[in-house]
Amino acid sequence: MKPIERSSGGAGAPAHVVSRRAFLRGLGTAAVTAAATSTAAVAAEMEKAGGEATVGPGEVPLEFVLNGKPVRTAAEPRETLLDVLRARFGLTGAKEGCDRGTCGACTVLLDGKPIYACMRLALEVAGASIETIEGQSLAGGLSPVQAAFVKHDALQCGFCTPGFVMTTTALLRANPTPTEAEVRRACSGHLCRCGSQPHIIRAALAAAGVATTTTSTADSLRHDHA
Amino acid sequence: MKPFTYQRALSVDTAVAESSERCRLLAGGIDLLGELKEGLVEADKVVAVTRIPGLDTIEKKSAGWTIGANVTVATIAAHADLARAFPGLAAAARDVASPQIRHVSTVAGNLLQHSRCWYYRHRDVTCMKKGGDVCYAREGEHKYHALFTGGYCISPLVSSLAVALTVLDASVVVRGRGGERRLTMAELYAPAWDDHAVHHAIVPGEMLTAIEIPLAARRSAFVQASEKASFDWALVSCAVSLELEGGVVRQARIALGAVSPVPYRDERAEKALVGTRLDETTADAAAALLLEKAEPLPHNAYKVPIARALIKRALLAAATPG
Amino acid sequence: MPEWPKDPKYIGKSTPRVDGAKKVSGAAKYAHDVQPEGCLYGVVLRSRWAAAKITSIDLAPALKVRGVKAAILVREGSRQVRYYGDELAAVAATSKRAALDALRAIKVVAEPQPHVVKEHLAARPDAPRVFAETPNTGAGRERKQGDPDKGFAEADVVVEGLYATQVEIHQPMETHGGVASFKDGELTAWHSTQGISGVRDGLSGALELPQNKVRVLGEFMGGGFGSKFSAGVEGLLAARLSQAAGAPVRLMLTRFDESLAVGNRPSTFQKIRVGARADGTLTAFSMESYGCAGYAAGGPSAGGSTNSGFPAPYIYRVPNFRTRHTEVSIHAGPAAAFRAPGCPPASFGIESILDELAVKLGIDPVELRIKNDPMELRQRQYRMAAERFGWAAKYRKPGSSSGPVKTGVGCAGSAWRVPGGGTQAEIEVSPDGSVEIRCGTQDLGTGTHTVIAVVAAELLGLTPADIQVRIADSRFPPSGASGGSMTVTSVTPAVFDVCTKAIEELMRTSGLADVRGPQWRAACRKLGVSPLVLQGRWIDGLSAAGTGGVQMAEVEVDTETGFVRVKRVTCVQDAGLLVNELTARSQANGGIMMGIGYALYENRVMDSTSGVMLNPNFETYKLPGIADVPEIDVAFMDLLERRVMGIGEPVTIPTASAIANAVANAIGARVTSLPITPDKVLAALGKVPGAARDNPHDAWMSLFATQPA
Ligand SMILES: Cc1cc2nc3c(=O)[nH]c(=O)nc-3n(C[C@H](O)[C@H](O)[C@H](O)COP(=O)(O)OP(=O)(O)OC[C@H]3O[C@@H](n4cnc5c(N)ncnc54)[C@H](O)[C@@H]3O)c2cc1C
Ligand code: SF4
Ligand code: FES
Ligand code: FES
Repeated sequence: MKPIERSSGGAGAPAHVVSRRAFLRGLGTAAVTAAATSTAAVAAEMEKAGGEATVGPGEVPLEFVLNGKPVRTAAEPRETLLDVLRARFGLTGAKEGCDRGTCGACTVLLDGKPIYACMRLALEVAGASIETIEGQSLAGGLSPVQAAFVKHDALQCGFCTPGFVMTTTALLRANPTPTEAEVRRACSGHLCRCGSQPHIIRAALAAAGVATTTTSTADSLRHDHA
Repeated sequence: MKPFTYQRALSVDTAVAESSERCRLLAGGIDLLGELKEGLVEADKVVAVTRIPGLDTIEKKSAGWTIGANVTVATIAAHADLARAFPGLAAAARDVASPQIRHVSTVAGNLLQHSRCWYYRHRDVTCMKKGGDVCYAREGEHKYHALFTGGYCISPLVSSLAVALTVLDASVVVRGRGGERRLTMAELYAPAWDDHAVHHAIVPGEMLTAIEIPLAARRSAFVQASEKASFDWALVSCAVSLELEGGVVRQARIALGAVSPVPYRDERAEKALVGTRLDETTADAAAALLLEKAEPLPHNAYKVPIARALIKRALLAAATPG
Repeated sequence: MPEWPKDPKYIGKSTPRVDGAKKVSGAAKYAHDVQPEGCLYGVVLRSRWAAAKITSIDLAPALKVRGVKAAILVREGSRQVRYYGDELAAVAATSKRAALDALRAIKVVAEPQPHVVKEHLAARPDAPRVFAETPNTGAGRERKQGDPDKGFAEADVVVEGLYATQVEIHQPMETHGGVASFKDGELTAWHSTQGISGVRDGLSGALELPQNKVRVLGEFMGGGFGSKFSAGVEGLLAARLSQAAGAPVRLMLTRFDESLAVGNRPSTFQKIRVGARADGTLTAFSMESYGCAGYAAGGPSAGGSTNSGFPAPYIYRVPNFRTRHTEVSIHAGPAAAFRAPGCPPASFGIESILDELAVKLGIDPVELRIKNDPMELRQRQYRMAAERFGWAAKYRKPGSSSGPVKTGVGCAGSAWRVPGGGTQAEIEVSPDGSVEIRCGTQDLGTGTHTVIAVVAAELLGLTPADIQVRIADSRFPPSGASGGSMTVTSVTPAVFDVCTKAIEELMRTSGLADVRGPQWRAACRKLGVSPLVLQGRWIDGLSAAGTGGVQMAEVEVDTETGFVRVKRVTCVQDAGLLVNELTARSQANGGIMMGIGYALYENRVMDSTSGVMLNPNFETYKLPGIADVPEIDVAFMDLLERRVMGIGEPVTIPTASAIANAVANAIGARVTSLPITPDKVLAALGKVPGAARDNPHDAWMSLFATQPA
């Protein structure tokens, strides 16, 4: 999915935009992609460059790191990160399930932590690192979390799935061998109307290589009575 | 959301200078965006405060702890030293909403969030709190509403952190255009007790910059009861702190959440504990005193027995070394 | 008679979803995600009044908003609205922001009218009428069998109770709606639906387009649960906006809209009497009941609002019964079919009173059911479930566990019988051996893609990965809507048919004695240059109806806070011939989770004064979360000779009843209405000062006072 590059603000664009862009260019893709430190550096630099200019209400240039790559777009101050990802970048993996911070379908990682993209103004992520589901299956294959979700059928309609995958991914990075209780806590900000939660718990633990849980057991009793 | 301009404040001065009825301060945004999306508040401008340097630290000084306004709820929940000093605060933070919300919500935003009354939050209902002339909840659906109020609005305070901080004798540091003021937690919410139009004492042109918690040899605890096991509002929450000497209570604080527009306390209940040893009987007697003035309505009377149980549990938990 | 293979390699085993990789990687495109070039954003303007005469709607200010490309009325002229949220107009614009700005600019002039949004108030003779010409309560319908009076006279004990169920909302994670795009006089609609053909027919009818100029697509859809059979007002509005704007329009409802207007499970109020002999044998049953499907009258599919959709005394054998079911209308959003329409509410009533009877007679609830259940299979399931669950050790006198946190157990049974049929399918076998199966069915997350791949792989001797499954396109051979748990029973026989035909044809063209498995490629090469394309259809003898199931639940109730936690659920389900165990297990888990929501959390709350729904969101319309998941034990009876059956609906029927019975068993008092929330638990325990134990009943009883039994 290629981000749509928009030309920035035009005549009214505040001066700091230029230095931000210059900064990102200077930094180079590799450095920005590398690690959180470069993300922090981007943020620090942008704060310096950006000052306290009042922007909007029209479109304002916006730069951040999306799935490891610096990107540039423009957004009105009232646009949420979710709207920008979906409408301006065409990244539709994060879903709008409620638009009110209650379902988790829009979950993305902000500097590595799960947040609701529907409850974040896009301008608020300037300079930060955002990871979406589209950045997970790099090199064509599925990530271990994704593979475990498929193997253990941790999904039905799949609409809530990208959100659960993002949260599980963040959990396992921070805590490679979580307990079942930790999985439940980490995923408590997500809803799944198909009721896939028992298999989600199982998949999350399996992806971590933790012995499988008691949450869901099953037997099929073939020809039990004949 | 209607169009607005956006400014990223890099100093408290800027935030304070800009803040007004039509210019809202933005922290984690969970509450503000919800209100803007429903059209409950309108803003010409939004000023983001989370990049103001120096407001995102937790510090322990000789007089006590200072928590910067921009410290996130998740940070409080995960801070080991803070949790050792104030287990009740950590417990409250751990149960706020969901991880996604805790990661972005700040302690200031949590304390200053607005009413959650479902009439107030409804885009097509204009109740007293929004400038209308009736309280729909009183005659209507009030199962989540308050047992105690000094006015007519029965929308309860829902900030879990407010309840936990109250029993720690915490105060908030507020910067206004004319300078700085300090408010106790009681003072922070006092106006909401009988003025249906407000949520707390902070007015446009002011910014909360820090929370201060005095050092004291206290044990604390926080418990809440909800309908769901997680990511659900408290029906009732209860925070307590105790100073004990040889098992005898020297000082006690008990605050209830979700039952009043303010963190609800009654000194009589707290005094009754002084000089006693905590057990089922003394805890229950204090609970009864604290709930004595409850004015339940037909659909929220069930909160009384829940509160009674939680007070008892919180007191016994705080009294038990652990 | 056709027969399924006796010693299957894939059927009945666990194949991971063939479309799983797309769903976990964000690559799956739902209607919500489709963005054709130049796609506009559509939104709906809804009534702010529960009842009103709309005299005028001025769209002009909306059309002036920058970026707005079309604004249309749902209906011309003055009109009546009957619920808060009724659709009035729609706007399409280049961005969500512009569309919402335009919505705010529309001027609506209305004459508000009195409304009534509570069932018991609507039943009063002087209540505001939902339809001016008819009273809010219908005439009611009676059903009778045997001689109920004699049955009660023969009874050694008679128990009576009043049970109520709430309005439950489907709340699929993907809301209703879709994308409509006109090109060269043809309409393509990507729709979030359970029935692409129905949507096609609906759109072509409403827009007066020939059916062959309308194409409906929906490869991925984010759940429906019975609410997504038609194009809906929103589908039609998307198409009309697209016509008006000359550009594709994506119109997906907001969660707010979704909660108001696109269906729900009706509420019910059931006054039940049951008579039994001392040994537990039922002699008589009588029920007077009300069901409320919102403003809409509600057909059989609305479930719970008419006799045909409200089965009582449900699965039990009662020689003598009399039921009278009456509809009541209120100013609220309409009902729609909802996973096992009618059954969960009916189950809650009868299973609750059976437990009351068991307590009164001192009989084990499981024994009481076995005694009165006419289905031999389910009797056996009760014994199996009891053993897996450890029922005998767990069941105690109600309220007898010690301490403030009490545990209890409960059970309930289910039945479902909707046969499949009416499906056609197509197979294309290419000379290189690749196989594509096409069928105009849909996959709601139930695993249709995978089931088709499994069946085809089994019959052709290939692997599921070898089969390209293409569904959810109205240009493919038709299948019915996915409802009634009949997708698998409708689709698998058609797939069987095309595969069998392909094998026969390949044997003929290749001259090989067996073309399956290892011979497949060789046989296909003999096709030369053109692929083999064959049609087939549903055939009799491979699928069946009439499944049964039982569930047992263990709960923990904090009698000081009223908090209920479901600890364990055991489910023994007749699955007929199980096609794919892994995805079936997901469905069973899902049914149980939905049942937990119905039992403990979900409830539409209406406000009498304003007439609005107070909780059109996930914050206060509460769905179960991952922390509420119990330990779940699912045992499928995988019975080849019973043929393929659907289980999506039966697995959700008994959950809430079993939980309600477990709560009553734990605390020794019964919460007689769903959801079982802490306030009601504490009231039932007599712990709420000033509240009668049966507080809500006082209001509901007035329903029964309005008409003599
Ligand atoms: C589904 C759900 C469940 C929830 N459950 C809980 C719960 O159990 N317990 C609980 O406590 N909360 C709960 N919340 C509320 C949530 O925690 C708060 O909305 C959040 O903490 C607000 O913090 P924020 O930083 O996002 O605030 P914001 O939305 O950014 O700000 C809130 C308000 O404070 C003002 N403000 C922010 N910072 C300052 C400042 N420094 N000075 C002056 N004014 C300021 C803003 O202008 C705004 O009016 C829940 C929310 C949701 C949606
Ligand atoms: S309780 Fe307060 S906020 Fe709620 S309806 Fe009444 S006045 Fe409005
Ligand atoms: S869409 Fe963001 S939490 Fe639901
Ligand atoms: S899989 Fe359908 S909502 Fe989770």
